[in-house]
Amino acid sequence: MNAQPIPTHPIALTAEEATGMEQRNIKKHDVAIILLHWFNASVWLIELISGLALIVGAAYRVMPQWYTTMIASALGSRANVLRVHIAIGLTWIIVFLVYGVFGYRNYLRKEVLVNEIGLDQDDWQWLRIRVLLILNRTKEALPEQGSYNAGQKLFALLVYAALPVIAVTGIIMSFHLFETSVVAWAMLLHFLAVGMVVSGLMVHAYMGAVFPEERPAFFSMITGRVNELFAYKHHFKWWKQTKIEQRRWQQEFQSTTPSEPKSD
Amino acid sequence: MARYAMVIKTERCVGCQSCTVACKSEWDVPNGYARTRVPETGTSGTFPNLNTSFHVNQCNHCDRPTCVPACPSGATYQAEDGTVQIDRALCIGCGACVAACPYRARYIDPGAGKADKCDFCTPRREQGLAPACVLTCPGEAKVFGDLEDSSSDVYRLVYREGARRMVTNTVSIGPNVYYTGTPEHLEVQAASFAPVPPRTIAPGVIWGAIAKKLVLLAVGATFAGQAIAFFRQLAVGEKRFED
Repeated sequence: MNAQPIPTHPIALTAEEATGMEQRNIKKHDVAIILLHWFNASVWLIELISGLALIVGAAYRVMPQWYTTMIASALGSRANVLRVHIAIGLTWIIVFLVYGVFGYRNYLRKEVLVNEIGLDQDDWQWLRIRVLLILNRTKEALPEQGSYNAGQKLFALLVYAALPVIAVTGIIMSFHLFETSVVAWAMLLHFLAVGMVVSGLMVHAYMGAVFPEERPAFFSMITGRVNELFAYKHHFKWWKQTKIEQRRWQQEFQSTTPSEPKSD
Repeated sequence: MARYAMVIKTERCVGCQSCTVACKSEWDVPNGYARTRVPETGTSGTFPNLNTSFHVNQCNHCDRPTCVPACPSGATYQAEDGTVQIDRALCIGCGACVAACPYRARYIDPGAGKADKCDFCTPRREQGLAPACVLTCPGEAKVFGDLEDSSSDVYRLVYREGARRMVTNTVSIGPNVYYTGTPEHLEVQAASFAPVPPRTIAPGVIWGAIAKKLVLLAVGATFAGQAIAFFRQLAVGEKRFED
């Protein structure tokens, strides 16, 4: 049994300790979340490509004509682009509703959400220092972080706010619900909500896939695990909490395991 | 390629609404709406010199339609024959085109929740038939044809007999419905049914003035920030060992 006390704040590690921790993994994401993440990512990719090809009115378009023509040609017609956009969008909504119902207890209860994506004082500090660090303007150490860092939390909050807007406005436009003016406002809100998420999504994708220090977080969305050293350095509060839970589990495990009977 | 136009001989129109009925029946136009209608102009002048007329209102299939650029989804488009058409599969029913039409010729079909209007009877034309309203008009007040065909009646009426477009100094977008009649008739019609300046729906105004710029700025600024970070990352290189 490991008798060493769990540090309350990050302490300097020896090279041996660091190497040891780098080789040990701890569980970060459930398989359901990993699947949902990549399903969501695929949907966003398809919906962005098709959605941008659907805004063609001269007063509204954001992409050049060759783009909208190319996507329409690829799918046969512009009506097909809209059909694909609606079909995938509705599938996305249904999948998230199922997730909401079955995943509520594990992932969406208020206590879980506050713990995972609520921002505390450390998080606001982290945001400031993180930006300065990227710009090479400070030597300050980043404050301790929970299972998600402040940037990830902000992005999650933005997504949680935008997701219902995107879904509801999408449904209104798909089925021409309510008054004509409601459809018109839905169109604007759909565009704005997606636009805001996309600007955050770019940071999310860059941090996950390109930024070297966060690379283990990217792989954790494939394997479900992160190495302990990464957790220790980037998500200390979460590492500490995980260690305490692990100790408790180990003790319970030992106390419930019957000792081997003595042979005569 | 054809360039379709319609001429309304207002001196022959008696306001019987046969065209309205034929159109509604042909295209199952819902109650309370019409693709073509014949409102009265009311009376003008002073007794005993009074004047009244009927005005035939419908989509003018304009050369420079304001409804086409106003449509966000591109459902409203100008066909190669110059007519303005709606691809109903693409229409989301936002009403932007209804507001943009200076001739108040469009409506949102409450059943389908999509825009609708006169399409110069495309399905009938494809079968070689005249539009339903033209065929039905007992006074033969409606003439339909191809302005590219110099032997057509519309060509003669428009280019040789001075049929006029219903335009104003401020709204002149090349309508392809022309009117003939006495100057008094045309004047009294213009007084009540002249085209109104096209409107842009409020969400459309915000889209152009704020939303599009905001989204492009947010995405652009994020992209620029990341580009800087990425090139810095390239210059610095990555660590081989975590410290």
